[in-house]
Amino acid sequence: MAFINTIGISELAIALFFIGLFGAMTQRNIMKTIMSVGIMDMGAILYFAMSNLPEQARPPISGTPVDVMADPVPQALMITAIVIGVSVIAMCLAMYMRVAYRYRTAEWNILCSRVEK
Amino acid sequence: MTFSSILYLIILLPVTCAAVAYFLPQKRYHQCMILANLLVTALSIWLFYVVRGGGAIEHLMAGWPEGIAIRLVADRLSAPLVMLGAIFCTGTLLFSTRAHYLDKTFLFLFMSLEASLLGIFLSADLFNIYVLIELSMLIIAILIMYKQDKQSVYDAMLYLMMNFIAMAFMLLGLGFIYRITGLLDLHMMQERIATLESPQSVILPYAMIMTAIALKAAMFPLFSWLPRAHGAPSAPAIVSAVLSGVQVKTGVYLLIRVSHVFASQLDATTFFLTLGFITSVVGFLLAICQKDIKLILAYHTVSQMGLIVMGINLGSETAFYGGLYHIINHALFKGLLFLTAGTIIETYHRRSYAEIRGVMRTMPAIGIGTLAGMLGITGAPFFNGSISKYFISDGLQGDWGGLAMFAINLGTTLSFVKYSAILFGKPTRKIDCPRDPWVAAVSLGFGFACLCGGLFGGFAVYALFGPNLPIAGALTLQKILGFALTLGIALLAYFYVVNRIGTVLTNVRTNRFTFNQLTVMLTLFFVILLSFLWLYGTAGEPAILMDVTP
Repeated sequence: MAFINTIGISELAIALFFIGLFGAMTQRNIMKTIMSVGIMDMGAILYFAMSNLPEQARPPISGTPVDVMADPVPQALMITAIVIGVSVIAMCLAMYMRVAYRYRTAEWNILCSRVEK
Repeated sequence: MTFSSILYLIILLPVTCAAVAYFLPQKRYHQCMILANLLVTALSIWLFYVVRGGGAIEHLMAGWPEGIAIRLVADRLSAPLVMLGAIFCTGTLLFSTRAHYLDKTFLFLFMSLEASLLGIFLSADLFNIYVLIELSMLIIAILIMYKQDKQSVYDAMLYLMMNFIAMAFMLLGLGFIYRITGLLDLHMMQERIATLESPQSVILPYAMIMTAIALKAAMFPLFSWLPRAHGAPSAPAIVSAVLSGVQVKTGVYLLIRVSHVFASQLDATTFFLTLGFITSVVGFLLAICQKDIKLILAYHTVSQMGLIVMGINLGSETAFYGGLYHIINHALFKGLLFLTAGTIIETYHRRSYAEIRGVMRTMPAIGIGTLAGMLGITGAPFFNGSISKYFISDGLQGDWGGLAMFAINLGTTLSFVKYSAILFGKPTRKIDCPRDPWVAAVSLGFGFACLCGGLFGGFAVYALFGPNLPIAGALTLQKILGFALTLGIALLAYFYVVNRIGTVLTNVRTNRFTFNQLTVMLTLFFVILLSFLWLYGTAGEPAILMDVTP
């Protein structure tokens, strides 16, 4: 099991992305697909945030010496991406509530057959 | 204050005005927004004039050095599109001056959408583009379900989730790119990518970003969100018009930009050419199956997007500019058709083409506008569609190319023969149609623009993009006879084939894909694009048709 030690967070992040994609492809429950999509987004954000990150890097906050500082650009960008992700997920959940009240179902294929033609 | 701050101003003006003037009462707010839009239009025309005369203008935000700063650029590719977007939004706002659905929230969202679309055209930083696309996606989701009737919430939800998955792909692709190049600025990225020794490392990020962009550009099989969004029963007419006229063009624009950035290492033009053709054919086949007039138009947008992507990827200069010109033309006639269709639906309270008759009689201005739009889209002589289609078919060499173009034209004409049924005949019941001078003026104006784009096609391409292409072949007797022949075959096919396979059409129309199936399609598209790039994607010298270095 030595290879486990060689797996970094970046590899796990990519794995997370594809686990989320798998969930979005296979889960019929609307709630679960929303969660899967959120996991995909988180995987992508995690991968991006891990770029140019040396072994002993410290957060790029004022006072950190420049030579041990993590690359601040991905960190700053990913805060934006996290906020966007949260707002889109919140919007999806709000829409899901509407849809669930209207059609009385939590499954994509039942929903698909009940929607007005 | 240098001249380049105008780029800031164009993006920020709509959204700032909409936010600051929010305290005004409804009517004043609307007038204020129209004023702001006229100002943005004037600025964008000025910008276009300067760019056309003196080359690209760029602005580094906050005075940081290049590579670190977020850059805004207006060049020969983006300036005409910015101008198109601004004029188009002003036109649609004027069109709906007396519409009842325009409340303050709606106007605010509309202005924010306009700002984000203009921002996508002007941005030269991939992450900035990502953020603006997400912003426009959220606003569009709200606008689609604005009236909240029927299945609109379901449509909006499906739209939002499909696009969000695609944007997650794009974000992961951006992460890969950032690791390889350390940059997100398109221009610097292009330089770094050109120095890479082998293209293997950029295949994965390219495929991820392109999957997202192909979904935005509504390529086969990723277009199923488009009819839901553009043909949504609950979206007001001007939303459909802006979505079909400007928003979907951002996908094609990014396709041109991003493939140019990667052109030194990867070449997927064959892939996108084939895809464009398939999209075009599938688009009109589905359009023929529809009954709802807005859905006919929406599937038609898919078909025309395929045509534009074909033109851009044909590898011939004439066809490339034909594709660009078709972007402008499509915005004009499809925007016009969506605006008039929205008004027709509101007046008749019916959505099916079979139940609407006699638009020419009840609403002459709308009828003439619709007719001009239809002549434009089918490529009738003297109208703008004929010029751009002529340029695109110029790049298609050989019998198969001619046949492909004929098939697409025939399909377009066929579905519009079906659509034109609403114009003639007598209304089945009494229609109460209010006279609205704004609606009439804007639809006639757009229709006139379609005609002018055809009469002065060569000059329009020269003025907008720069090349002086010969258009003598676009208006020969042969072309006019060809159009008449197409129209004849389309009429025959409509009466003898389409009218007799009603059950097939109904089955196709009512078949819906679930979210899971759509995600599987997206993943399959990604895998196919990845394997294509792996096998054939690494080409030698790229053919530069237009220098679109941002």
